[in-house]
Amino acid sequence: MIAYTRASTRSWSMLGSSGSFGLAAMELPELSSNVAILTADLSFFSGLDRFRAKYPERLINVGIAEQNMLGVAAGMAKEGHKVFATTYATFASARTCDQVRVNMGYMQFDIKLVGLAAGLSVGILGPTHMSIEDIAVMRAIPNITVVSPADCTATVKATLAAAAHKGPMYLRLSGVQNNPTVYSADFDFIIGKAIKLREGDDIAIIATGTMVYAALEAAKLLAERQITCSVVDMHTIKPLDEAAVKETLGARLLVTIEEHSVHGGLGGAVAECLALTPRKPPHLVLGMTDTFHHPADYHFLLEKNGLTPKQLAASIATAYDEVKAA
Amino acid sequence: MHDMTAATIGEAVRARDPREETRSFDAARCRAAAKQIRQYTLQMSLVAGPHGAHAGGAMSMVEILSVLYLEVLRYDVKNPTWELRDRFILSKGHGAPSLYAALCLAGFLEEKELLTFKANETRLYGHPSIDLSMGVEFSSGSLGQGLSLGVGTALALRLRNNDTSRVFALLGDGECNEGSVWEAAMSASHFGLTNLVAIIDRNGMQYDGFTAPVMNTGDLAAKWQSFGWTVREVDGHDVTAVHDALTTPIAGQAGPLAIVAHTIRGKGVSFMENARVWHHSRLTQAMYDQAMAEQEASTDESGGSKGP
Amino acid sequence: MTNLEKYTKAFVDSFDIPPSALAGLVYQAIPSWDSVGHMGLMAVLEEAFGITLEIDDVIDFSSFERGQELLKKYGVEF
Repeated sequence: MIAYTRASTRSWSMLGSSGSFGLAAMELPELSSNVAILTADLSFFSGLDRFRAKYPERLINVGIAEQNMLGVAAGMAKEGHKVFATTYATFASARTCDQVRVNMGYMQFDIKLVGLAAGLSVGILGPTHMSIEDIAVMRAIPNITVVSPADCTATVKATLAAAAHKGPMYLRLSGVQNNPTVYSADFDFIIGKAIKLREGDDIAIIATGTMVYAALEAAKLLAERQITCSVVDMHTIKPLDEAAVKETLGARLLVTIEEHSVHGGLGGAVAECLALTPRKPPHLVLGMTDTFHHPADYHFLLEKNGLTPKQLAASIATAYDEVKAA
Repeated sequence: MHDMTAATIGEAVRARDPREETRSFDAARCRAAAKQIRQYTLQMSLVAGPHGAHAGGAMSMVEILSVLYLEVLRYDVKNPTWELRDRFILSKGHGAPSLYAALCLAGFLEEKELLTFKANETRLYGHPSIDLSMGVEFSSGSLGQGLSLGVGTALALRLRNNDTSRVFALLGDGECNEGSVWEAAMSASHFGLTNLVAIIDRNGMQYDGFTAPVMNTGDLAAKWQSFGWTVREVDGHDVTAVHDALTTPIAGQAGPLAIVAHTIRGKGVSFMENARVWHHSRLTQAMYDQAMAEQEASTDESGGSKGP
Repeated sequence: MTNLEKYTKAFVDSFDIPPSALAGLVYQAIPSWDSVGHMGLMAVLEEAFGITLEIDDVIDFSSFERGQELLKKYGVEF
């Protein structure tokens, strides 16, 4: 049984999202007798060494062969196994895209595809390891639920929720070790239901993944300027919580923030949701710029993309001034 | 010969006429270069600091690189896009540190630039980035893709009637888990690409440990052979054997050549050799000091043994 | 409880080992002191002493003894 104490949520934050996933995975065989976790030669990176030690027959390592991993996952899922397939987010969405499309989208096999080190977290290894477009890819394939937890506590909750959920899912894990904590205690994590974390009337911010914490910090900075912001954790990007999106219509400015391209991710999903709505606030889409950046460490890259709380607050304030002046 | 420095090795390499057809093989100089590459790799791993480095996989391919860059590859640093150059593709892109070291000896990089390894926005990051001026033909990092690039390059060269240039792709044995490697292998043989060489750095390890228990590649030589390649198996740390495998003509050659080079991951550093964590790990100052001491004390001219 | 008792208890509770096993114990010497166990220990120590550890110290915390040296930086005397 997992205890959601300050100490445990703090230890998960220090571990990072991959390690937190590995910890949550330890609970899965208790919940489901036929769980199998697949890795493509990344079991140690994915925090799965404890799982492997305790449940060796349930961890299947296909070696460096992501496309094969998806096919193997599909075959096992069809035979009734509850399958988690894990790899870097870049390879999950790009390398295995056809197999994801056919097996998860089209045949709807119950595979939970876990994309590790999403966004910029291993950006030091270069563009081949920066997942810029994975949400856009997954979102565009029918029948796949797309979940992006805000912190390591949410990663644990999302992993358990994924196990209970019926249907193919892409679980996008982001951030690095010492991942800032949004949830320091237990909370209700319901797939498809956004969580409002802060009230405010002037600006509505909808964020996902690591940018939820950044959004909360940006909101504090904006409050110092007497600008009030609401912040919503949109952990499920597909199906989008449209009711939560529509609650933002009263704001003067709507902002979406994601550690993902500005094209096709959370921003795109929200914009599509509101496309037919006649009266809505202008929408500022903040995320990773449409380019392959030079490799650098995580925090450097966040700054390069304008995604630190200070930079976010500045971008939002500028947009807000323009809205008020218009 | 025993006091060869990076500078003298580099000079000798750069003094060479890239257009010369035959060269006499200098095994001692290759071994000295291998030792220098090992030491550069350690220096780069140290400056990478908390980012860590793929030191193990970089160390197993050192002799292969020294033979290629000193003796086999045709290239001209003053004219890096020279049409008649050989093309080298590091498909196992995480071996980048020792590639940069070899490129330094070859004259493409300055020694001081090596110390910018993994600095923010450096040219020298954890995987090679396409830059012909630096001698890097293709970006890599996503495993299993380099050989296909080699097939395309080899085909294009043949279509242009360039019978001089050869294409060399260096793969890992764990990398051979990827199906895309075998698509490329099948096509290379189908197209009869006599100008393509695949070198497999068979160090028997991958991220999660030894290849045999993780995903057993079995008899790799037999597999490449069954795909229609001529296969030569060598001790990947024996510069003479590697050189012979790369340069001995194949009687009646009708297709590509695969060299399965048996190596030790982390070769030359006692705590790295065959250690699972050294696919990618952090080299502390203390570890660096120990490794360099081992290199200094090593009785192996390549810095390959663990020292006396 | 003295600081040493609190410190010892953190190890004993985190790794389910007797106090007699602690002298000279290093990271990864026992199965429960893996990366997961390590972060669990760090969090328990933070709570026990009311401190927040810097990530460099978390990485440097390689043994029972080394940990005591590191905690001195945070005003924890043994």
